[in-house]
Amino acid sequence: MLVSLSWRNIWRNQTRSMVVVFAIALGLWGGVTSMSLINGWVKQRMNDSIRNEISHIQIHNPQFLQNEEVDKTLNVDSITSLLDTLSGVSAYSARLKIFSMAQTDRANSGLIVLGVNPVSERALSGIPEKIIYGGFLEGAFKIPSIVIGKKAAEELKLVNYEITDSIIKRLERNDEGLASALSELAGKSYRSRPALIRDLQATLKPSLFDRWADAIADSCAGYRLNTPVVLTFQTPTGEMHSAMFRVRGVYRTSNTAFDARVAYVNLNDLVPVSGLDPGQVHEVAVICSDIRKVPSVAKSIASKFSHLKIRPWDEVSPEIALYSALGDFMGMIYVVIILFALAFGIINTMMMSVLERFREFGMLMAIGMNRVRVFTMIMLESVFLTFTGGVVGVLLSTTFVMIFSHTGIDFGMWAEGFEAIGYSSVVYPHITFANYVQITFLVIVTGMLASLWPARRALKLNPMQALRIE
Amino acid sequence: MAIIEVVNVDKIYNDSDVKVVALSGINLMIEQGEFTAIVGPSGSGKTTLLNLLGGLDTPTNGKIRVGDVWLNEMKGSKLIDFRLRNIGFVFQSYNLIPVLTAGENVELIMQLQGVPAMQRKQVAAEMLSKVGLADRVSSRPAKLSGGQQQRVAVARALASRPKFILADEPTANLDGKSAESLLQIMEHLNRTEGVTFIFSTHDQRVVSRARRVILLEDGKIKSDFAQ
Repeated sequence: MLVSLSWRNIWRNQTRSMVVVFAIALGLWGGVTSMSLINGWVKQRMNDSIRNEISHIQIHNPQFLQNEEVDKTLNVDSITSLLDTLSGVSAYSARLKIFSMAQTDRANSGLIVLGVNPVSERALSGIPEKIIYGGFLEGAFKIPSIVIGKKAAEELKLVNYEITDSIIKRLERNDEGLASALSELAGKSYRSRPALIRDLQATLKPSLFDRWADAIADSCAGYRLNTPVVLTFQTPTGEMHSAMFRVRGVYRTSNTAFDARVAYVNLNDLVPVSGLDPGQVHEVAVICSDIRKVPSVAKSIASKFSHLKIRPWDEVSPEIALYSALGDFMGMIYVVIILFALAFGIINTMMMSVLERFREFGMLMAIGMNRVRVFTMIMLESVFLTFTGGVVGVLLSTTFVMIFSHTGIDFGMWAEGFEAIGYSSVVYPHITFANYVQITFLVIVTGMLASLWPARRALKLNPMQALRIE
Repeated sequence: MAIIEVVNVDKIYNDSDVKVVALSGINLMIEQGEFTAIVGPSGSGKTTLLNLLGGLDTPTNGKIRVGDVWLNEMKGSKLIDFRLRNIGFVFQSYNLIPVLTAGENVELIMQLQGVPAMQRKQVAAEMLSKVGLADRVSSRPAKLSGGQQQRVAVARALASRPKFILADEPTANLDGKSAESLLQIMEHLNRTEGVTFIFSTHDQRVVSRARRVILLEDGKIKSDFAQ
């Protein structure tokens, strides 16, 4: 009956209790949402990083890792024959990794060039799916192909901005005045975005410019496919060597820094110009069927190739592992801060509820309810109140996470900033069952702590004096 | 042996620097089955005496025995548990728990005593029937009249099977008809079941029904007579 009594007690003043319940629910919703967004970002960063950049395991000649000298290779055949038989290995790709200077007709930039087998790379990496212009490395061409990142394409000035008739027609559907204003720029081509923006500013009315300039620039951007890129790199003998490739594709990941520095060419095209023998590679990247199998697969490889450096993903990129661990912690800190603030509201409500019932507590103590039971009753009331708010909050949060974990939330206006640090501007909130258990535990603890002071007031009551209170 | 024995009891309150003598030199014996009214003007010490008899307050001097136990020898939870099992209370303003039904209000005290649920329900129904509220077991206090609420309070006090029931001005908030009805019930319980009632009251109707009247004045027993 104590449980039933406590539950009924919290609904004596329904308005007051509902205010607290909704405050807790909204607070928790905010906390869980923050946590799910952090988790979503961390998960996306981790998945993208593993899938596009570092894989689950990397195998290197240890000397290559020291100075990344081109002649510090490893023999691919013995490694791939092991990987073919190893359970838990989902895909692997052997790569040549050469640091080069890339030069186009308009600019130059440093690039890490990965020589890959397109079929193996497609099985291993997410990059072929990130192509936004052109294709990956499939197809035979007289002049070999190179696929570069969007940022590298911009740095090498491989982007052209041209206001075509079709773009004007498309924009006309949105704003008729805009199409006529743009007609005088039709057919013009720009080498850089700032140059286009300057012309747009000069041509368009300020209101049209503010509203449409970025959209027009995005619509007009086109990559100059098949543009020759000359790669200059050092051969094992120390000589500088140059080779020409043509840009056949542009990819874009959520990590701008990666897009700026990594390019892909066919391994068969790179071997002859690199001065290395066929069968020699710098890196073998491995993807496992499950991230939990990484330690055992890495151990199996290391046991066969003790002279090589076998690095699991969290060793290759410890910051990613750190973010993953910190994600939950940070989210929990948000929830704790919110609950701490809410605790004051709960204390206030419980204190009012106790003060209003001094006479009743006096009666209960007089007829024989001991202080432990009075204390328990007040604690239960607070826990019920908090838990009810918690349940509503968790339901709200779960609905939010369920909806947006499919559709994602687009923080497009900050896309540049996010992508500069390797995070996607579209986040898919993510929360685990363990997170819910932790939150529920914290809610109950908050309820209990918040009721301590009011309960103490009730315990200090003298029943005889309390009964006199009108 | 008397169920209550009060020996040379004084109660003095120290209000700031002023000493207020609420009771002085009280000696009293109350037997099982009495229907006793403690009367006197306001400030004569009626409620103080009732609080001392109920173990809600402690005398400054003297001692009080209830059954075999001297109350001054008990403290804290032991005293609360003693009250729970030996003393019934009926308060002036009913003091029912508004969120519980009449039946649950009566059950509450038995639950505190650790009586099993089935037995509690049965006894609660029986006690409410004794006070003429058999059909109001499921009613909340707000749905009951003042007289009915006070009868629930009597049923609650009875449910704990106490040695005696202390009733502090039980009719003070009731209209004439309700007061009369309540007194009839309590008198009936006293006569048929031997329940001991001790009232503090101003109400002449209570005084006229009491078989023993203790008159207090200025904290002292001025008269103590049977009628």
